[in-house]
Amino acid sequence: MAPTRTVKNKHAGPKSGGKPGGGKSGGSKTGAGVSKGKGGKKGPIVAQQMKGKPNIAGLDKKKKKKVYTAKELGIPELNMVTPVGVTKPKGKKKGKVFVDDRESMNTILAIVQAEKEGAIESKLIKARQMEEIREARRIEAEKKEAERKAKLEDTKEALRKKRKRDDGKKKGDDDDVNIKEMASAGTKAAKPKSVKKRVSFAAE
Amino acid sequence: MRPLTDAEMKTVLDKLANYMSDLKSLIAPLEDGDRYVFRLNHSRVYYVKLSIANLATSISRDNLLSLGTCLGKMTKTGKFRLHITALPILAQGARHKIWVKENGAQPFLYGSNVVKAHVGRWSEDCPEHQGCVVLSMSDVPLGFGVTARSTAEARRLDPTGIVCFRQADCGEYLRDEDTLFAG
Repeated sequence: MAPTRTVKNKHAGPKSGGKPGGGKSGGSKTGAGVSKGKGGKKGPIVAQQMKGKPNIAGLDKKKKKKVYTAKELGIPELNMVTPVGVTKPKGKKKGKVFVDDRESMNTILAIVQAEKEGAIESKLIKARQMEEIREARRIEAEKKEAERKAKLEDTKEALRKKRKRDDGKKKGDDDDVNIKEMASAGTKAAKPKSVKKRVSFAAE
Repeated sequence: MRPLTDAEMKTVLDKLANYMSDLKSLIAPLEDGDRYVFRLNHSRVYYVKLSIANLATSISRDNLLSLGTCLGKMTKTGKFRLHITALPILAQGARHKIWVKENGAQPFLYGSNVVKAHVGRWSEDCPEHQGCVVLSMSDVPLGFGVTARSTAEARRLDPTGIVCFRQADCGEYLRDEDTLFAG
């Protein structure tokens, strides 16, 4: 008795009071009518009423249950760092393989050391080659610089010689001119005229 | 606490090989028949005698703070970071060394790089970006770093030019006291 009542009461809640008499008035509904007509017992009523409830609940559950995983949707995985040892090939045994015996440790050690030695050696060779190239370039640059300087010195020397020669010639010419001037103007040397610029304004 | 896996062992040895020339001496058998092994606990790698490592199995992992010599830490990306605690082991078989003058020891121990003016002497034929151990002029290891220039290039460098980038120094025992052994 108690469960039916509670069910009824619960059922009555949402339908807002149409329930108590609803047993027969619900006859308008086909389902309810059939169930009552069939049994006339309490059992079927309970079953029917219980049926109604779980169905609703079940629908809700079904709706909630539908959660798609990333794989189902075909969404690409996020770019993540996969640490060493996390990715494992399929078909292999689960768990980590430890290195604890001396032989395997020695093997790894030898591999690592050989790799490192090779890397360092190549680094050194590369550095030496670079150093040689730099040295050659430096020597070449020095040579060029020395050549340029020598050329400059030569040009300077040539110019100096040329000037000296010119000076010697000019001096001789000046002497001649002076003698001529002296002869024409007497002993009084005329002062060189000072060239002064003058500005005159036109009178209005 | 567990032994290292194949990949982890390779990573650790690879890092050690940057600084050390002779790695085989690390795992060579001792006179008493014992040998040194590598153990991993809380992502820290320890270099410890096998007998001690076996004894340590009686202590739960949570309660085991440290054992042997801590070499460094495995990062979450699978790389390995050397700690200053590995210095005694590195200094024993160092491939390249830089001796720092007295005036350069303090700046280095305070966390700065080694400049040329502070270098007393250095090993010949050292390429750039190679691990090296930094020592005082009295051969006391102060830390380790990575060379910034090759020896030949460093000779032409001006006195304020950086010769060695610091990786770890003994000052970390004080500066990183809280995080060095746990956390």
